[in-house]
Amino acid sequence: MTARLIRRLAASIFVVWLVASGTFFLVALTPGDLASKMGDPRISPAARQRLREHFGLDRPIWQRYSSWLAHAVSGDLGDSFLFRRPVREVLAQALPNTALLACWGLFLELALGLALGLVQAYKPHSFWDRLLSGLSLAAYAMPAFLVAAVLLWLLAYTFPVFPPSHMAEPQALGLSFWGRLAETARHLALPALTVGLTGCGAVARYLRGSLLDEKRQAYMLAALARGCSKRRALLLHALPNALLPMITVLGLSLPFLVSGSLVVEVIFSWPGMGQVFYAAVTARDVPLIQAGTVLVTAAVVAGNWLADVAYSWADPRMRG
Amino acid sequence: MVRGKRLWISLLFLLLGLGPGCSKKAPSPSPPSTEPVHGGQVTIAVTQDISSFNEYTGFAESTELAILDLLFPSLLIEQPDYEQHPPSFAPNLAVSWAFSEDNRTLTFHLRPNARWSDGTPVTAEDVAFTFRVQKDSRLPWSGQEIKDFIEAVEVVSPTEVRFRFSRTYPYQLMDANDGHILPAHAWGKIPIEEWTHTDFSRHLVTSGPFRVASHVPQQSLTLARDPAYWDPPKPYLDRVVFKIIPDTGQQLSQLLAGLVDVVLMVPPREAAELKRHPKVEVVEVPSRVWGYIGWNNRRPPLSDRRVRRALTLAINRQAIVDTVYWGFARLAKGPIPSTMWAANRNLEPLPYDPAQAAALLDAAGVRDTNGDGFRDWQGKAFTVELLYPSVNTLRAQAAVMIQADLAKVGVKVQPTPMEFTAMMARQEAGNFDAVLSAWEEATKVDMASLWVTPSATAGSNNFVGYSNPEVDLLVAQAREENDLDKAKVFWDRAQELIVEDQPVTFLYEGVQLVGISRRIKGANINPASVFFNLPEWYCEP
Repeated sequence: MTARLIRRLAASIFVVWLVASGTFFLVALTPGDLASKMGDPRISPAARQRLREHFGLDRPIWQRYSSWLAHAVSGDLGDSFLFRRPVREVLAQALPNTALLACWGLFLELALGLALGLVQAYKPHSFWDRLLSGLSLAAYAMPAFLVAAVLLWLLAYTFPVFPPSHMAEPQALGLSFWGRLAETARHLALPALTVGLTGCGAVARYLRGSLLDEKRQAYMLAALARGCSKRRALLLHALPNALLPMITVLGLSLPFLVSGSLVVEVIFSWPGMGQVFYAAVTARDVPLIQAGTVLVTAAVVAGNWLADVAYSWADPRMRG
Repeated sequence: MVRGKRLWISLLFLLLGLGPGCSKKAPSPSPPSTEPVHGGQVTIAVTQDISSFNEYTGFAESTELAILDLLFPSLLIEQPDYEQHPPSFAPNLAVSWAFSEDNRTLTFHLRPNARWSDGTPVTAEDVAFTFRVQKDSRLPWSGQEIKDFIEAVEVVSPTEVRFRFSRTYPYQLMDANDGHILPAHAWGKIPIEEWTHTDFSRHLVTSGPFRVASHVPQQSLTLARDPAYWDPPKPYLDRVVFKIIPDTGQQLSQLLAGLVDVVLMVPPREAAELKRHPKVEVVEVPSRVWGYIGWNNRRPPLSDRRVRRALTLAINRQAIVDTVYWGFARLAKGPIPSTMWAANRNLEPLPYDPAQAAALLDAAGVRDTNGDGFRDWQGKAFTVELLYPSVNTLRAQAAVMIQADLAKVGVKVQPTPMEFTAMMARQEAGNFDAVLSAWEEATKVDMASLWVTPSATAGSNNFVGYSNPEVDLLVAQAREENDLDKAKVFWDRAQELIVEDQPVTFLYEGVQLVGISRRIKGANINPASVFFNLPEWYCEP
């Protein structure tokens, strides 16, 4: 068991290293660097060269790579070219915001998806099933910016129930802990709902499919034959089994907790990782891109690993 | 992504009932109250957060510099009066200044009552310290070259500081003034090596009309009135909040909803709609930005000026101004915007003349030899790849119009959207046919950077590879000339030659569109900066 864990851990580290190194060379070989982004005419070519020298961009690629690797292994992520602060500080600021939005977004996505899937599977091919199928397909197909626009129009501008952007108003800094919590909750509503609404369609589709598969199983027939009600059979017998594939969906969602959604973050001025990554990539901010890549790759690996662990916990057949 | 964003802006406008069909007649701007009143808050939407409170640690965007203007003093304030002469200067931290007889020494007399936010006086030592910082090669400040001809800055007394120059030239005052003054007593304690990774928001000592009240990264920057400001009763506003809103659609919606008061860059299409709104005024500010198509002058047949002139003649530039920019731009005539004193007023834009364009192309040997409807060059199809930044929807629209116009004279254009940094890299490497881009002319007129033959040793912004020995000579003569009237003669001739050669096709001169709530009074929005007289803004009681 320990050997298996060590093998798995080694493989994970290898994957993270491989992806991060690949990203490093991809970024290095992509045309342009931080200095080329400076299109301002007041910036002379000499100033551009000075920027390159200052950030070590004039050194050979292997030197840059080995320097990055040596620092990364020792836990030093370097300083962001763009934000001119240590990368860990930039990430430490953005990561909790993204995680907060993603957690609530995922929660809404699962809650809504679960509800939709259950109602549909309860009476398949009925009017409600067809209606909700259409709605969940529409939710699945709708881009986030469209959902955001409708929500903003309805709940922020026509009926100003929720604020249209940001995590808090500037004056909220003076509020008590509970006041700030309420302020964040109000601001979180629309972006989280956007994430939830765009994702719930897929969850509903998955769940409906697997619930219908489970309903065809012999144990369901046996349950009904024992006099178990249809609703009870669906909720207590079919649902736990149908939820198994959802573990994979959840596992694969873990990277989203650290990577964020650029579109949602930009529209709602949410200061998260999506915006940080986008800014880093456009500015060729190598330390920040590398740190972000390591983080997201680690989240993908961890998500897979957690899904496996959760499977073996949830499904007795996997424990052998 | 671009299409998505564009759609999103349009959609939100449509949902808000501001579509083209919803027309409301805008009332004329309400007249300003006679007396400014203290109090109130103005919220300004900005697309990105301030990257550092210390401009010398790297590269600051123009909005960022405009915010720093409110927090750190400059010796003088450059005035936006460059239409008839180079910009003049108004007193700021320095109340007066004087050149020595040989013009090699410039002495500033500082305001005795200027204080940093911690109560320490702002002195000549701060000015000298700032100069040492500006010249420090350990910092990647993009403006170091500006100080090339300043040899030393000497403290004469706490309120008197002297700049010594290695040569005399017309822009000595401008160069001495460039950059904000830093607090020597506070920031001098931080080793220079640590500056590029120091968070200066934790060491904020400021001296301006406002102080930083709070800064929530990527969210907002709140400035509060500095009661110790040296020019009472200004500022009138209690607070100025910069709200970071990266999405243009949200900026405009929040302006309409009254959640923000100022939007710095209203897209031209939305400006036409926004103008109908009764609570908002759209101010048109002629900027020094001009758009162009840069032809690769090193690549045949684009190296032939007949071909470049033909391409310009074949493009209906007025249609681009009218359609893409909704008329919120002017047709460009030459290399210096017509709003600047150094512009050659006798220049006229080349006409839109496809027939003449076709004749010029024929004469240059660019003809359709295989009858496919498109012209060829030395037996091969003549196709121009036109690069433009993928995030810029206006350029994307212009590229399509250029493609259609040039197709009419048989020139095949391949519009290629590119990620901005990658495009700039191709530009720098000279690996392109044509680039659709824009340039902002500095108030310090110097045509050397863009139009002088690029040398192998010194860097140049002349990426199109334009070379005309006569222009090189004229620019050199103009730069050596201390008498600006005489220099203007050289600049004028150089502009004529450049327009004749058409190394680039001059497309348009930009207009910045600023959306501002009508409750804000006293705002003098001008090309220097939207926040130029922000200390004088006040809210309608």
